[in-house]
Amino acid sequence: MMDSLSGSLKDALKKLAGKAVVDRAAVDELVKNLQRALLSADVNVKLVMELSKAVRTRSLDEELPKNINVREHVLRIVYQELVRLVYATADLKLEPQVILMAGLQGSGKTTTTAKIARFFQKKGMKVGVICADTFRPGAYDQLSTLCAKVNVPCFGDPKATDARKITQEGLVALKDLEVLIVDTQGRHALEPDLIQEIIDLNKITKASHRWLVIDAALGQQASEQAKRFHEAIGIDGVIITKMDGTAKGGGAISAVAETKSGIVFIGAGETVENLERFDANGFISRLLGMGDLQALMEKARESQMEEELDMEAMMKGNFTLRDMYKQLEALNKMGPLKQIMNMLPMGNMQLPEGVYDVTSTKMVRYRIIMDSMTPKELDDPSIINSSRMQRIARGAGGAPEEVRELLKYYKMMHKTLKGLKGMGSGGKFNMQRLMKRFSGMQ
Amino acid sequence: MFSGLKERLQAARNRLGGSIGAAATAQAPAGQPAGATSASAPAGAAPAQAGPSLTEKVRILIIDRELVVSEKDVADALEELEMTLLESDVALPVTDAIIADVRKSLVGKHRKIGESVDALVVGALKSALLNVLGKGFDLPAYIRAHERPVKILFTGVNGTGKTTTVAKIGAYLKNQGFSVVIGAGDTFRAGAIEQIGVHAERIGIKVIEHQTGADPSAVLFDTVQYAIAHKTDVVLADTAGRFHTKANLMSQLDKIRRVMKPDLVVYVDEAVAGNDAVVRAAEFDRTVGADAIVLTKADMDSRGGAAISIAHTIGKPLLFLGTGQAYDDIMPFDPDAVVEELLGSGSS
Repeated sequence: MMDSLSGSLKDALKKLAGKAVVDRAAVDELVKNLQRALLSADVNVKLVMELSKAVRTRSLDEELPKNINVREHVLRIVYQELVRLVYATADLKLEPQVILMAGLQGSGKTTTTAKIARFFQKKGMKVGVICADTFRPGAYDQLSTLCAKVNVPCFGDPKATDARKITQEGLVALKDLEVLIVDTQGRHALEPDLIQEIIDLNKITKASHRWLVIDAALGQQASEQAKRFHEAIGIDGVIITKMDGTAKGGGAISAVAETKSGIVFIGAGETVENLERFDANGFISRLLGMGDLQALMEKARESQMEEELDMEAMMKGNFTLRDMYKQLEALNKMGPLKQIMNMLPMGNMQLPEGVYDVTSTKMVRYRIIMDSMTPKELDDPSIINSSRMQRIARGAGGAPEEVRELLKYYKMMHKTLKGLKGMGSGGKFNMQRLMKRFSGMQ
Repeated sequence: MFSGLKERLQAARNRLGGSIGAAATAQAPAGQPAGATSASAPAGAAPAQAGPSLTEKVRILIIDRELVVSEKDVADALEELEMTLLESDVALPVTDAIIADVRKSLVGKHRKIGESVDALVVGALKSALLNVLGKGFDLPAYIRAHERPVKILFTGVNGTGKTTTVAKIGAYLKNQGFSVVIGAGDTFRAGAIEQIGVHAERIGIKVIEHQTGADPSAVLFDTVQYAIAHKTDVVLADTAGRFHTKANLMSQLDKIRRVMKPDLVVYVDEAVAGNDAVVRAAEFDRTVGADAIVLTKADMDSRGGAAISIAHTIGKPLLFLGTGQAYDDIMPFDPDAVVEELLGSGSS
């Protein structure tokens, strides 16, 4: 389901590409697809509406920066707006502190408590854990087993019934340690007794941090719950758990928005080691199901620059294997070679059929082969004799025939481009502008 | 329960009704013959000088004339209904399905102006929701109708409340007069065996357990053997929470199923889950099957969308709702009652 969604988001972005001005209808379609992607990632409906409104106005109103195409422009706005939503910094210092864990039942507080203990322990801090969950049977056993695995002292009593009392005792017993983590019972906002309990625990522990644990699968309810927890104890950090499933963690964005805090950690796995610091970029990419967005943006700019450089080199006739490789990559991004060649104003010029025959699997092979070449060989393929060919083939784990085929293809390209050059100087043929147009077609 | 969804649905229903009503009044004057402009007032206020034939005409035009609901009439309201459902955690594909259903049953429908718009809208919504929710599941009746022991396997992702649910259902069945044994099949999570052990002791049910790290299939096989030997009515098999993305854990579950041959596989998820509920329910259904669903944490001010999402995705009945932390915080799910409550006479 997610795949088809990110697919339609990508399609919508494609429609924006190749346009000289920002097209209202295309932006509207993009915004609609963006909304759907975010909604199915469980981001709060109101936040989605605010964000899509911002993307729409900014896309249409902001002037298109130079050297950047419409698609990149809009993509950048989408990215910036999303980062703005999640990228509040969450305070995390390696100093003596008390951390109070809060969250709904079954969100993963106990496992996360052990993971955080492990995190500080690895940073060289002296860590202790207090089990203030006096309700759920087995809670103490669970926490003490996890802590014993990593040699972290765990204070608690399976028979205790008063969370406040056990916490006070724990604070005394573990007072020599630097970082204390207090695991609490799962509760939700509609249980006044339990909310009162956590308010008391917050007072007793004088907690330096109050972290809210949010299940990645939590839906629209996240806003409301986070709001109530925030009102009760002032949440200053959010932890997303169970990110190793398919849930996108959009509920955490709602929680961040409600608590005006940041995401501290991401839990993804069942062992105590499976805890990561939050990375906005990776998180957003997953949210939209679109791969690495920031890298995508940077790549878009790079490839455009490369293309322009390439064309210059090619027009001068200095076409090397290196250029060919870059060119192949760029062309592959733009679509089938044949289609692109057909777009060129070359009249009825016939190109050798073989030019079109480079498939992406072949390109992978070509890349491996080229990786086995020396820089000298890449710059001047004519020096490749049969002994060099043997060496290259062995290095690439292939047969010399493959190397020969690559060289043959290179020669064909070389020839074709020489022909193009002649065409170019003849008429009003602006290669740069053309390439720009192509890059829009990807 | 599900009060959030209830409120929203009722608001949506009013909007839908409103927009159809508005379309009707907008159409009616336009449809009048030229020259009858003076009679564009409602029928009751028909001018006296117009004569009986004209009054009659107006009456037919305004009251008896059939109106066809067009797609345009309901477009805005449906869009709002869509947002309503999404805000209530109904997953996107399921929302799309419900909207399509409502649209299909409303658009092109002939109706008389006098007929209540509200009834039309409620009917469409009700049938769409019932379509999605399917039928309930009567567990005691199922147990009575089947050979003992009836073996029930509980599955689901981490932290949805399987262990607590097993304890609650154990207590519920015990109250119904059945004898029950629990298999502590969660041999992975630290403290899980202790957890189910304490629960079982409190409600007075026998637990079969091995050590942490033991093969869950073996534990549950032993549980079934115990039930056969002691002529126990029901076996409740707890398992470790697992993500549908972990192939090895899913095949472990498949092995459990082969070894203990459950009569019912119950999929447990939480009412507060968002869109992912659909993805994982579908995956569990595909790999190990699911015969019924238990939805936990329905007391968390939940908007109930997950119930609709999951039921729609795997097309299996909802068995119980978990509504709190006490053993009796569990209620059999009755779709008719729920839909009736959701759309019921809050505002008419």
